[in-house]
Amino acid sequence: MKILIADDSRVMRQIVIRTLRQAGHGGHELVEAENGKVAFDLVQSEAPDLVLSDWNMPEMSGIDCLSALRAAGSQVPFGFVTSEGSEDMRKRAEAAGAAFLIAKPFTPEAFDEALRTVL
Amino acid sequence: MTALAPEVTDLHAVVEEVWTTFVGAEEPLCPRHVPAGTPLDQAVWSGAVSVTGAWHGAVTVELADQVAQTISRVMLDLDSTADLADDDVADAVGELVNMIGGNVKSLMPGPSTLSLPAVAAGRAVFASDAHEVARLDLLWTGEPVRVTVHCPGSPS
Repeated sequence: MKILIADDSRVMRQIVIRTLRQAGHGGHELVEAENGKVAFDLVQSEAPDLVLSDWNMPEMSGIDCLSALRAAGSQVPFGFVTSEGSEDMRKRAEAAGAAFLIAKPFTPEAFDEALRTVL
Repeated sequence: MTALAPEVTDLHAVVEEVWTTFVGAEEPLCPRHVPAGTPLDQAVWSGAVSVTGAWHGAVTVELADQVAQTISRVMLDLDSTADLADDDVADAVGELVNMIGGNVKSLMPGPSTLSLPAVAAGRAVFASDAHEVARLDLLWTGEPVRVTVHCPGSPS
């Protein structure tokens, strides 16, 4: 399984990778993107099985990346990992086709629970 | 106009949760009893995010340099001998204020938009029409940590 992690913060990408490991999902191949545009391009070239994306990023936000992917015909499972976990944001994520939204701060258990819905 | 502000107890809960999750609970965040307006009289890093929409405000985090360096190492999983660049500290401080700001945004009326974080090696400075509506002065490993929420409008 290949997972694409999109976040403009290298610190947060490291934390997500560490948390995946702690959640028992450490054996997957990982690809990293520093914004939504790079993530969009990497979905085309790397064909990941899952995208874990921040919401707020420079160049292209996570929600714009998801919309662009769906408009381009990609149905790759897509989940947000974001500091904004309000009901409004969850509804927007779901309406755009996201499988889940994990709010920061998160636990390994929250990751495991979310990933089990798509893996 | 009196600005709508998060409760200090809610702000404290958000900061505690973010801190213990990503920095750890071995060293507690303790209250630092100082009068409002007390300057942080040492080298600090600061990070700020703004929220615009149904609620307008800015959230800042100011950390003593030693705190910023230490939490960056923890968040990046680096030991004390590994090189730590300013970019790494800026990234960690930015992510910290992003998480705290995002959670504060979720406490306030929406919909609204959270900005990308701005980080500086130095104190946070605000426009003259912004005033402080909530402030936490804390100590971590004996060094100061300050989290503030500013809003436009007149003080209540």
